[in-house]
Amino acid sequence: MIVFDHVIKKYPLGNIALDDVSFKINDNEFVFLVGPSGAGKTTIIKLLLREITPTKGTITLGDFNIADKKFTRIENLRRQIGIVFQDFKILNDKNIFENVSLSLRVTGMPSATIRTEVKESLQLVGLSGKEKVFPAQLSAGELQRVAIARAIVGNRDILIADEPTGNLDPKTSWEIMKIFKKIEGKKTIIIATHNSDIVNSLKKRVIVLKDGKIIKDLKKGGYDL
Amino acid sequence: MIEALTSIRRTPYQSLSGFLVLFLTLFLSTGIFIILTFLYGLLGYVETRPQVTVYFKTDTSESDIFKVREQLISSGKVLSIKYVNKQEAFKVYQQFTKDNPLLQQMVSADILPASLEIYAKQPEFLPQIAEFLGKQPGVDEVQFQKDIVSRLLTLTSILRKTSLVLFGFLILMSILVLITITLFKIALKKDEIELLRLLGASNFYIQKPFLLEGFLFGLFSSLTSFLILIGGLFYFYPFLTSYLRGIPALSLNLPHYSLQVWPLNIIFLSVTLVFSLFFGVGIAFISVLISTGRYFK
Repeated sequence: MIVFDHVIKKYPLGNIALDDVSFKINDNEFVFLVGPSGAGKTTIIKLLLREITPTKGTITLGDFNIADKKFTRIENLRRQIGIVFQDFKILNDKNIFENVSLSLRVTGMPSATIRTEVKESLQLVGLSGKEKVFPAQLSAGELQRVAIARAIVGNRDILIADEPTGNLDPKTSWEIMKIFKKIEGKKTIIIATHNSDIVNSLKKRVIVLKDGKIIKDLKKGGYDL
Repeated sequence: MIEALTSIRRTPYQSLSGFLVLFLTLFLSTGIFIILTFLYGLLGYVETRPQVTVYFKTDTSESDIFKVREQLISSGKVLSIKYVNKQEAFKVYQQFTKDNPLLQQMVSADILPASLEIYAKQPEFLPQIAEFLGKQPGVDEVQFQKDIVSRLLTLTSILRKTSLVLFGFLILMSILVLITITLFKIALKKDEIELLRLLGASNFYIQKPFLLEGFLFGLFSSLTSFLILIGGLFYFYPFLTSYLRGIPALSLNLPHYSLQVWPLNIIFLSVTLVFSLFFGVGIAFISVLISTGRYFK
């Protein structure tokens, strides 16, 4: 379970990114974070990844109190989270297998297990047989599939996607969302997005942010700012 | 390991400059190490020879000689003194001229002088001992290896001080160059490092390829400089043999161990290789740790 309890985040220049934000996300829940640019979506993701710490409030993720300034188990925390970026962040000098396996290599998993896990993950995103292909040979949609494969490979409990369809055409965006649907129920999925079509169609929980505050938290909501 | 090799291949000029600067440092350092061990060995050898030999006139009585000996012992500057009387001197003479019966027949024990062979506690005491002996009655001649010892002492001292300055400069230069190269390589892999951190990689996991690369630089530059230096030593072996003729062995006396330097032997060469490897890998590791430490900070 993820719990944000009265979280405030002020940046050094004084701008408030999150203003007394509280919410709970249950295990294996599917949640959209929506809101205009600067609403605080990315700040929530950065807080979850412990790239930044809150100015006030507590954030718990499973057993971890990640708002604690003395929290040192950042590596263990991040090994529970798979992340998908808008710009894919695929390493061009590594082939698809190497890119996906990075998630597992950092945990010290044996090579034989890595091979099996990567194969399963690529199969799930529809990229079987492309293990040895390099990123330059893939389309944007395929690159995002690789990024999803890298995020879901292994036993990461949480999948966070920051504008995963931001650089994709509508058709490809839907293909990507189908992959998220396949994973639904097996992992906690948090997607920050501007894509109203997808949010409106899927009818999942929607947390709407504006100026650093939660203005709506709807069980089966739509893209309604 | 593959990642380290790939990184070297992808940044050939930076890698080559890192290798060359480390090679130069190790080549000079190991070269100076070898020269210093030889000089210390030579100094040790000279110090084990009778450092001052005083010959008395043939009519000097043994009691006068013993008085001189007692005065030397009480000065506190003498490690040991060996008295060689006329009979013993004659035996030495006979041994020395055993191939020439004519020379043996011409000399008897009476005409040979008694002598004292003196070993000083420190080479610096030699001139003072010689000066003291020169003023004693009954003394015919004082021989001591003033020139050799003082030259060796001066040379060793200069070389030691110069080496320290040179070592310091070379180490600093190598570390700075390697830090710059590593920071450049980190900058090239910035995106990858950021991604690895978000995926939960430990600092050591991120440092590992850089450390391995540093290890390879250290290893290959050490081995190359060692092989070239040893090649040089063997090339000059006939010259060294001729130059050090008459000296059976040179040893570097350490507090609990005596390392034989000459004739060249496997232990000395192994110690030199270990010194070079330790130094090379150490410099590379320190540089990588400083540069990655800066980045993680």
